[in-house]
Amino acid sequence: MFACSGISKQFGPTTALRDAGFMVSPGEVLGVIGPNGSGKSTLLACAAGLLRADTGTVTLNEVPLDLVAIRRTVFFLPDGITPWAEHRVHDVVATWRRLQGRSAEEARGRIAALSLDGLLGRLVRELSKGERKRLMLALALLATQPVLLLDEPFDGLDLRQTREVASLLRAEAAARRAIVLSLHQLGDAERTCDRLALLDAGRIVAEGSLETLRSAAGRPGAPLDEVFLALT
Amino acid sequence: MPSRERATLLLRKEWHELRAAKAWWLFVAACGVLVGQAFSTAVATYAEVSGGNGGPAALAQGVSPLDGFVVPLFGAYAIAATLLLPFVAIRLLAAEKEGGGLGLMLQGGVRPISLVLAKLAVALGGWLVGLLPALVALALWRAHGGHLAASEVGVVLLGHLLRAVWTIALGLAAAAWTESASTAAIVALGVTLAAWALDFVAAVQGGMAQRLDAFTPESALRVFERGELSLSVTVASVVVVVALLAIAAHGLRADRLPRRAAAMSLVVLGGAAIALAGASLLHGSGDLSEDRRNSFPRADERALRAIRAPVSVEVHLAAEDPRLADLERSVLRKLERTLPAVRVTRVAQGSSGLFAADTAYGEVWYSVGGRRAMSRSTTPAIVLQTLYALAGVEAPTDANAAAYPGYPLVMRAGLAPLLLGLGWPLLVLVAWWRSRRPPSSNRFPT
Repeated sequence: MFACSGISKQFGPTTALRDAGFMVSPGEVLGVIGPNGSGKSTLLACAAGLLRADTGTVTLNEVPLDLVAIRRTVFFLPDGITPWAEHRVHDVVATWRRLQGRSAEEARGRIAALSLDGLLGRLVRELSKGERKRLMLALALLATQPVLLLDEPFDGLDLRQTREVASLLRAEAAARRAIVLSLHQLGDAERTCDRLALLDAGRIVAEGSLETLRSAAGRPGAPLDEVFLALT
Repeated sequence: MPSRERATLLLRKEWHELRAAKAWWLFVAACGVLVGQAFSTAVATYAEVSGGNGGPAALAQGVSPLDGFVVPLFGAYAIAATLLLPFVAIRLLAAEKEGGGLGLMLQGGVRPISLVLAKLAVALGGWLVGLLPALVALALWRAHGGHLAASEVGVVLLGHLLRAVWTIALGLAAAAWTESASTAAIVALGVTLAAWALDFVAAVQGGMAQRLDAFTPESALRVFERGELSLSVTVASVVVVVALLAIAAHGLRADRLPRRAAAMSLVVLGGAAIALAGASLLHGSGDLSEDRRNSFPRADERALRAIRAPVSVEVHLAAEDPRLADLERSVLRKLERTLPAVRVTRVAQGSSGLFAADTAYGEVWYSVGGRRAMSRSTTPAIVLQTLYALAGVEAPTDANAAAYPGYPLVMRAGLAPLLLGLGWPLLVLVAWWRSRRPPSSNRFPT
């Protein structure tokens, strides 16, 4: 089980995270949900070691991880990035899969699953927001770390693509990968995640399955948005 | 993945990144224009000095391809290295950083120093592509009967290579430590301006500024341009480059607190300062100029080396006094090359001789084994006579045995400036356009 706990992060006078954390097991999809600015991306970046937290620990099976171990364990895909904008899609995928030691067959599988086949000759900067997101997800899925942290993975995708990507992530989790998604669309979270962590103003206010959260909010059978409003 | 395979992959990726950078294409195209202009000017001036256009010819011994052609030609690269190359290096790193690719690469198991070295290697490769117009110009010079000494071309080329590496390393360090390419550009240009300012202060004040100035790329390049391969300057340049690359790598460690990364960089700077102090004590140097301008005649060198007693020189001349520059060039540097243990003390530093309180101003005192003599001359022959007299050594008689013949050449630039200044940029434009074309196959490469 991968876990981070007691994570605090201050940006000047602004407190981004206060004693936040989560845990996720192989085969599980955890959704970190919260309004814009609640600290979701910061929490994931701290958990991945890409941002130095002021306090907090990251563990795997209760063993504390140093930065090198975190890099081997966790892959974090930030939202809104456009890496290698002047490269063609096939070059990006080919370079990345070689760097990760993945086979061409595995790369083709991800390309097909994310409907990138028709985009291989395009420059990354020429891709639409949704196409770029699918490319980034392909790279994340080709990463070899057992824990994936994905920031807003459905942002820019249409309904059909959202459902396809959700299925793909579920299948990835079924292959014993632990996946953490940061989401602000509660409908996506409800459909995709096994468990949810509610983040508000930098603090985790509730964590558990949807049923657990409903019970905590005293709203049996209520949709997630109502539960969320009740708990935050 | 084996490290060699990973390195190849990184280099391929960076080469792709370089080819995608308009800054690089502009740099390569501009090299043609600058070299064309330099070629045209150098050839015209050389022809004039050689007696072309009906004017009086200089003494043949005074017409050297190193001064008249090679240095002015490669001067184009000093301009390009100062004003264009930093942006190529900055673009290589800043684009990846701003786009988010850097974070992915670091998570993908690539170490910051590997990334920095790959970018350095590729940017240097890009600089070498920009060198092609100079090679064309050298070939044209040779085709018209111009003389070239391989050692002179080699040492000037090495100087510019080190200058380019220095600039690239600075650009990478600036890009690693700043949030955007524009800020990195300001930092890189700021360092260049500071080096120029130091150069100016050193020329006027001497002293510590002069010692520090010896490590700036402009000063280092001047040593190579006079045909001298100095161990001290070469080692110092390498130290600065290594320090800049280490600072760049520390700047990419996003997982570190900024103050810890800054502290590590300060440690690197401290180590570099110590290494530079050590480098300044190195005395080895080779005179690769064909006219041996950095050396006394061989017979005098033999006679000087026969002096066993310690030699010291006390110079009462201010830094901005042209007599000091003359003495440095024609006597002191040669003396330091021949007798590494010679001790030179510059007494009247940083004040103009006209207003100096030093009553001995203008005097140069030579001391050999406790015997002292004063001379105001900057002429090598007179200084050497003074030293021989002090040391009780007989002056050699065959000092002018092998005089430099000189290589006058009256050549017209013809269409070469057009070829380099217009043809080359057009060729670069076509190459850029072809590089932008989409691939014929949309198939995923294996």
